[in-house]
Amino acid sequence: MTDQAHIRNFCIIAHIDHGKSTLADRLLEYTGTISSREMTEQVLDQMELERERGITIKAQAVRMLYTARNGEQYELNLIDTPGHVDFTYEVSRSLAACEGALLVIDATQGIEAQTLANLYLALEADLTIIPVINKIDLPSADPERVRQEVEDVIGLPASECLLASAKEGIGVSEILEAIVERIPPPHGNLGRPLRALVFDSHYDSYKGVIAYVRIVDGSVRVGDRIAMMATGSVTEVIEAGYFQPRMVSTQILSAGEVGYLATGFKNVKDCRVGDTATVPEVLGQIEPLPGYKPAKPMVFAGFYPVDSDDYPLLREALERLQLNDASLSFEPETSAALGFGFRCGFLGLLHMEIIQERLEREYGLRILATAPNVEYYVTKRNGEVVKVDNPSAFPPPGEIEKIEEPWVELSIFSPARYIGPIMELVTARRGVFKEMKYIEADRVLLTYSMPLAELIVDFHDQLKSRTQGYASLDYSFAGYREADLVKLDILVNGQPVDALSIIVHRSEAYRRGRALVEKLHKLIPRQLFEVPIQAAIGSRVIARETIKALRKDVLAKCYGGDVTRKKKLLEKQKEGKKRMKMVGSVEIPQEAFMAVLSLKEDGE
Amino acid sequence: MSTTLSSAPYTVFFDEPLSALLESVSLYLHVPFCHTRCYYCDFNTYAGLLSLREPYVRALLTEIELAGEMARTAAGAPRRARTIYFGGGTPSLLSAEQIRRLLDACRAAFAVDPEVEISLEANPGTLPSAHLQALRAAGVNRLSLGAQSFDPHLLKLLGRTHSPEDVAQAVRAARSAGFDSLNLDLMFGLPEQTMAQWRETLLRALELGPDHLSLYSLIVEEGTPFFTWVQEGRLVPADEDLCAEMYEYADALLQEAGYANYEISNWARPGHECRHNLTYWLNLPYLGLGAGAHSCFAGRRFSNVREPRQYLHLLASRQRPEAESETLSFETQMAETAILALRTARGLHLPSFRERFGLDFWQFAGQRLRHVSEAGLLEYDGTWLRLSKRGRLLGNEVFLCLLPDED
Repeated sequence: MTDQAHIRNFCIIAHIDHGKSTLADRLLEYTGTISSREMTEQVLDQMELERERGITIKAQAVRMLYTARNGEQYELNLIDTPGHVDFTYEVSRSLAACEGALLVIDATQGIEAQTLANLYLALEADLTIIPVINKIDLPSADPERVRQEVEDVIGLPASECLLASAKEGIGVSEILEAIVERIPPPHGNLGRPLRALVFDSHYDSYKGVIAYVRIVDGSVRVGDRIAMMATGSVTEVIEAGYFQPRMVSTQILSAGEVGYLATGFKNVKDCRVGDTATVPEVLGQIEPLPGYKPAKPMVFAGFYPVDSDDYPLLREALERLQLNDASLSFEPETSAALGFGFRCGFLGLLHMEIIQERLEREYGLRILATAPNVEYYVTKRNGEVVKVDNPSAFPPPGEIEKIEEPWVELSIFSPARYIGPIMELVTARRGVFKEMKYIEADRVLLTYSMPLAELIVDFHDQLKSRTQGYASLDYSFAGYREADLVKLDILVNGQPVDALSIIVHRSEAYRRGRALVEKLHKLIPRQLFEVPIQAAIGSRVIARETIKALRKDVLAKCYGGDVTRKKKLLEKQKEGKKRMKMVGSVEIPQEAFMAVLSLKEDGE
Repeated sequence: MSTTLSSAPYTVFFDEPLSALLESVSLYLHVPFCHTRCYYCDFNTYAGLLSLREPYVRALLTEIELAGEMARTAAGAPRRARTIYFGGGTPSLLSAEQIRRLLDACRAAFAVDPEVEISLEANPGTLPSAHLQALRAAGVNRLSLGAQSFDPHLLKLLGRTHSPEDVAQAVRAARSAGFDSLNLDLMFGLPEQTMAQWRETLLRALELGPDHLSLYSLIVEEGTPFFTWVQEGRLVPADEDLCAEMYEYADALLQEAGYANYEISNWARPGHECRHNLTYWLNLPYLGLGAGAHSCFAGRRFSNVREPRQYLHLLASRQRPEAESETLSFETQMAETAILALRTARGLHLPSFRERFGLDFWQFAGQRLRHVSEAGLLEYDGTWLRLSKRGRLLGNEVFLCLLPDED
């Protein structure tokens, strides 16, 4: 047990690709927490997916021992947080477990949208900020410009900036010294009953839910009974310890420390991120730590097994993923077109992609995902309000009094020369301009309100392509607003395909219907018979295309030497057909169900 | 009844019982040499190896002997051989003397039928009259000429080195050498090819009065220059609908000229169907000899090493050059038999299927053909199941249904 004066808890926050994980690697190496022999890149990102994409999905905590220039040894707890806007809530909880933050800024790029978004979160959590200008070794680095930005935009004195190159190991010792000197030690009350903040968790099949905790007050020992304040669940601590970054068991964790508790809970729902662990005796008598809110999915999509026999497997896989990810929600749903599947709720599009990829990689499932949508509040004529997270479940138009949809507040950082194209893009997506701030002579911060539904359809890619990749984006939920929306149905061969229905703004319906029908015409292969594709609002058809019947599909020659090879070709073709979904008597490829996502690129 | 049915009986099928056919083999001899490689060709053939011809023939002689040993009947007698086919590559690059030695070896190792069909593929550019006469004298009785097109521009595009006139000359020379069964290969669905060009090619071919025509829709195979050019956008593959029209046009024209379509890509005057190739479509046993040649025998499909030098090396020490092998499950054998037979105009003879596998075809096929049957791709007269006229161009849709499901 370390006295609190010798503990520093901090995290690293940054815009994506500004070098957060590399800096973490260097700190681990410098403090000898990990020998260079064990060192791999992105050592804290253990998921294959994290490494491949160069992102952090799950928070990690690691304890380092550092002997400072003053000769004393400090326990430094680094909490590595996810950087993506989808995981803002998780980030905010991780920040709440710290007293300080390294704000890493790329010396070649300067401040970006997530730099600021994360900074605001850190300031909200009252953290001491240490700005670190990274990648100073690159030829295009301009640390002086970035220093000035830090002063102008963030309001921190330029002189506080540390210069570093995590890749080259430059500035690492200065950073460690600054952590000790500038970040205040924790000042928890050891004598009070236990209060521990859960900032993340994972599921272990032997020890149950492993809660990642920051002990705020008191202490906890193996064998102690603990209670979760939000959920009321009670359990006995099976193991306590810290990460290095492997789990190292200790007997006790006490105020100021960061570590883990093996809870034995069988479900992460019992031990939610943001909840406070305490002792059962004081449950209801002491204040929980602030900021807890249950995870709320914002984006919804249907997940269907391509092979309908895999349905039970998909359920099991989702259940398992949910063990580690309380923000994932799913409910069984049935589609006339796709059969049995699940309506899943996600924090955002990246979250959805990650879940889909994990299902495919880790569980070998082939998933058909419908186009994502948001959750609508529909007020019916009879006064009843229904929440609709699936377009096909929309009430008939005659019953609808009003529809409300979620809006977000959007911050876009960009070089000033792209203001025009950005304005155009956002306006075409029903966005409303709020504010423009010059943060430098040629860089602006644009603020808009926009329906979330418009954001999840390809917005980020479009923004990137219109600004040659320079703009960065952040958003936060900004309530529900009424909107004039209609349900657009797609009929394939005369049959409505429920999984292709989308909700669109009335003024956009014709154009979107047209584009969707054209896209499907390209994506659906020719069949043995002619197939009409129609877009309709209610019973009114607003667009139509016809896929001509297939005329030729035969191997030109097949002789003795060919039989084996031709059979393989046929098998490949058959495999391809298997990946399609039979809707009525029409084979529809998976991409068709996502067609709506890439519509805008053609239309705008 | 479809009008496209061959009126000629399948001699190989009806002159003798299925059991006898299953006990005999067809022999395929591969000659992997060419002067130049055509741009669309993905066969196992090599330019620049002509100096290996004689060593290769010697190796082939050894393999024929080894194959004869391997294929002996249960009673230890030489296996009966019904047809012999020299394919390539360009078999006409071998001398008549070399062909004669190879045929002698076949007769020594197998019980070759006296009426055996002996086919040889030839390149119109490499066929002096004397060579054709010598080949005929050596016993070759069916000649297949790779004409491909009668359009000089398209021939060039394909990488062919002969001219349309070379084809006409080769046909005349072959006739005077005594070849009374003659095939022309033609290709359609070529990049840039128009319907008018295709019609012209067909008419020029018919003027030459061949006994047999093989019409192949171009397939752009991976690993060929064509494939690269298509990938790079330098070559635009033909429109599939145009290909379908070319096929239908050719079929109508050839039928009118007295050629019956007896397999998806093959037309013949009555009695001139290629008996060797029918072996494949009736899924009867055959042995492929030479570099990269494929065999189907005793419940296995197997093939030889592809590289000629490696082939020579193995045969130098009298080792069988087999490289790959697939043991055919009962399911696979049934599927292959049905798929291959459906390529023929007569189709699949259901009683024979039952005789061969002891299982009713419909029991094997179950519901699998329902969709394609409803789409009108099949015809069934109670004995024969065949592709309909439309189904011939959509054969894969039917074949796919018959493939066994993976486990």
